[in-house]
Amino acid sequence: MKRRPSTERLAQSVVMHIPDGFIDGKTAIATAILSAAGVGLALRQVRRQLPPRRVPLLGLAAAFLFAAQMINFPVAGGTSGHLLGGVLAAALLGPSAAIVVLTTVLIVQCFLFADGGVLALGANIFNMAIVGGGGGYVIYHTVCRWLPGTRGQVAAVAFAGWCSTVLAAVSCAAELAWSGTVRWGAAFTAMTSVHMVIGVGEGVISALVLLAIQRVRPDLGSEAGEEVGRGGTRPYRGWGEVVGFGLLAALGLALFVAPVACPWPDGLESVAARLGFKHKAVAPAVAAPAADYRVPGVRGAAGATAVAGAAGTVVVFGLALLLARALVREGHVKRDA
Amino acid sequence: MIDDWVGHYHSRRESVVSRLPAGLKLGVALGMIVGTVLAPPGAIGWYVSMAVVLGLTVALSRVPVLFLLKRLAWLSPFVLGVALVNALQPAARGGWETVAVKSTICLLTVIVVSNTTPFSGVLHVLREARVPGLLITTIALMHRYLFVLVEEAERMRRARASRTFRRGRGARWQTLSTVVGQLFVRASERAERIYDAMCARGWK
Amino acid sequence: MNAAIEVTGLSYRYHDGTEALRGVSFRVAPGECVGLLGPNGSGKSTLLLHLNGLLPEKAGWDGAVRILGHAVTPENLETIRRQVGLVFQDPDDQLFCPTIAEDVAFGPQQLGLSEAAVKERAEKALAQTGLAGFGHRATHHLSHGEKRRACLAGVLACEPSILALDEPTSDLDPRGRREFKALLQGIAATKLIATHDLELVVELCSRAIVLDHGAVVADGPVTELLNDEALMLAHGLERPHILRHKHPHG
Repeated sequence: MKRRPSTERLAQSVVMHIPDGFIDGKTAIATAILSAAGVGLALRQVRRQLPPRRVPLLGLAAAFLFAAQMINFPVAGGTSGHLLGGVLAAALLGPSAAIVVLTTVLIVQCFLFADGGVLALGANIFNMAIVGGGGGYVIYHTVCRWLPGTRGQVAAVAFAGWCSTVLAAVSCAAELAWSGTVRWGAAFTAMTSVHMVIGVGEGVISALVLLAIQRVRPDLGSEAGEEVGRGGTRPYRGWGEVVGFGLLAALGLALFVAPVACPWPDGLESVAARLGFKHKAVAPAVAAPAADYRVPGVRGAAGATAVAGAAGTVVVFGLALLLARALVREGHVKRDA
Repeated sequence: MIDDWVGHYHSRRESVVSRLPAGLKLGVALGMIVGTVLAPPGAIGWYVSMAVVLGLTVALSRVPVLFLLKRLAWLSPFVLGVALVNALQPAARGGWETVAVKSTICLLTVIVVSNTTPFSGVLHVLREARVPGLLITTIALMHRYLFVLVEEAERMRRARASRTFRRGRGARWQTLSTVVGQLFVRASERAERIYDAMCARGWK
Repeated sequence: MNAAIEVTGLSYRYHDGTEALRGVSFRVAPGECVGLLGPNGSGKSTLLLHLNGLLPEKAGWDGAVRILGHAVTPENLETIRRQVGLVFQDPDDQLFCPTIAEDVAFGPQQLGLSEAAVKERAEKALAQTGLAGFGHRATHHLSHGEKRRACLAGVLACEPSILALDEPTSDLDPRGRREFKALLQGIAATKLIATHDLELVVELCSRAIVLDHGAVVADGPVTELLNDEALMLAHGLERPHILRHKHPHG
C-alpha cells in the first residue's frame, strides 16, 4: 500500500461516511429508525437461515471488507479507487448477512477510526448497508435471474455495484438536503456526478474480485442454491428477502428524496414554507452535467434529469455486459442446470 | 501501514481518563454529541463549553495533540465540500462554519473516547444495552481479526508485487483483485477453523 | 483399564474425494506421551480433529474412535470435548476473544461453571503457562510465543485429561521452544503431539507413531523408531541430531 495511507483513506471514506454535524436531529432519527428496522430484519433472517458453522464468517467477512477497503486501485496521477464492497458482500453472503456485515463494518469504523459520525450512523447504515447492500442485491439478483451463468453473475455484480453506489449517493445527498446543510440541487448534482464515476470502479473491482474467488473456490463464490461444504446446505434464497429489502430501500429513498426534489404543487408549497422547508425550484448551478438541462420550469429540468439518468444507466448496463464478456472466456462459462 | 492510522490507539497510556468506567465515558460522549448536533447555530456558549471540556479531557488523557490534529484532517475535505457548495448556493440554515465547529467537536469526542477505552469495555456496554447477541459477536470477531487480515493483505500484496513485471493499470488491478479474492477465501477458511476451535472448547 | 485414546481402522475422505486417513489404528494409554510424526499432508491434523469429533460424519468416515471408553458420536461430543483438549496449529484461529483473560475464561464458561470458578480456573491456567498478569492484554499484541502459551492456557482451563497438540512449537524461536517444552513436561495429562520437531519428540515422548499418506507405517518406542534412519528417510523425516550427538542444551 502506498506510503500515504491516511490521504488515500481520506479520499475514499470521505465521500460516503457522513460525519456528525452534517445531518440534523430529525434526519438522524428518521434514518436511525429505518436502519434499525432493516438491520433487525436482516438479523432475524440470518438467525433463521445461517447454519451455526457460518457464524464466525460474519465477523471475518466484516474484517475482510475492512481490509479490502484499504487497498488502493490506482487510477490516474495520485488518485486511486477503492472497493466499498456492498454488492460484493451481498453476492457472496446473501442480502441479510451482507447487511449485518456492512453494519458491523460501519459501527467499528465509526468508533475505532471516527470514520463517520455517531449520530450519523443511522444515515450511513441506511446509505451503505441497506441501499448499497440490500438495494444493490435486488438489482444483482434480478440481473442474475435474467442472465444465467458466470457471465451473468459478473455482469450483475458490475452493474449492481455501479447502481448501488449511485443510489447510496442520492440517498446521502437527500439526507444532507433534508438537514438543510446543502441545497438539494447542489447536493444531488455533486454527489451523483462524482459517484457515477466512483461507481464504475466499484463495479469493475467487485466483478474482478468475484471472479477471482470463483476461480479458486466456486462453492464460495455464489450464494444462491446448494452449498456442498462441510456440513451445511444453504437454503434457496427466495423472493421474500429480495422484495423486503428492496422495498425498505425504496421507501427510505422516496421518503428523503421526495420532499426535497419533487416539484411541489402550490398548496403543498405553502405548507412546506410553514414547516421551514426552504425549497426553491430546481436550478442546479454547480458541476457540468446538470448545466445542460437548464430548461425553464421545474418539470422540464426534472424530466430531463430523469431521461439522462435512465440513458446513463442503460449505457452502464451495456458496459457491464461487455466487461463480463471480456473477463469470462467461453470455457469458463457455467450454465445453470 | 495500519499503525499509521491506528497508531496511538495501541499505545494506550494510563491516565485518569483511561481508568474511568467505559459506560460513563460512552454516556458522556453521547450526551456531548447529541447536544452539539441539536444545538442551534447561535449557541456559542455550548460550543465553547464543549471545547473546554474536550481540552481538559485531552490534557488529562495524555493523547498526543498532533495525533488528534492529524485525525481532524480527515474532516477537512467534507467541510470544504460543503463550504464550496454553500458559497455558490447558500443552504437553508447555518453556514459552513457551524457545520465545521459541530463536526470538529463530535470527531474529537469520539477519538478521545476510543483512545482511552479498551474495546472489550465497549462490547460490555453494548451487551448491557441489549444489542442483539449475533451483532455483538460479529463486531467482536471483526475487531479481533481486522488487524490479522490487514497484515495478511499487505503480505500478499507485497508478494504479488514482487512477481509482477507487467506495468500498467490493468495488470495492477488484476493483481490486486486476486489478492482481495484470496483474502476472502482465506478469511472464509479461517472462519471455519475458528468455528472448530470454538466447538472444541464447548461452544454450542 | 480403558485406553485414553483408542482408534480402530479409522478411514476418512474429504468431500472432494481426497483420502486423508486409511485404516489408522493405535492405542494411547493414560499418562503416556506419544509423538505423531509424518511428512506434510500425511493426515496428522485430520486425525487430531477426529479426537474432538470436529469432522462431519456424513463425509466418508469409517472406523471408530474411543476416548476413555466413550465412542465419539454426536451424542457424546460434550463429554469427549471435555476430556480432550485440542491445541490448534494456528494460534490466531484459537484465540478468538478480544483479550487473553476472556479467551482463557471461554472454556470454563462453556462448561457452565460459576463466575468465581471460571475466574479461579482462568487465573490458575494463566499462572501455569507463565502468563499471570497478561489477562488484560489484547490478543493481537502478543508475541508468537505468548500466543502459543495462551492457547495452551485456554485448553488447560478446561482441565482435560488428554492433550492433543498440533505443531505446538512451529514458528517458535529457540527460547520460546524451550519454554514451551518445559511447560509440557510439567503437565501430567496424556499427551498426543503432532509435530515436525523431532527433538521435541525425543525429549518429551516415550512412544512415536509415524503416519504417511494417511496410514500408520510405524508405532513404537521413540529411540528405536527415530534411530532407524532408513525408516525416517523413507517417510519424509530424518534422524534427529539429538540422537546423533550428545546435545549440550539438554
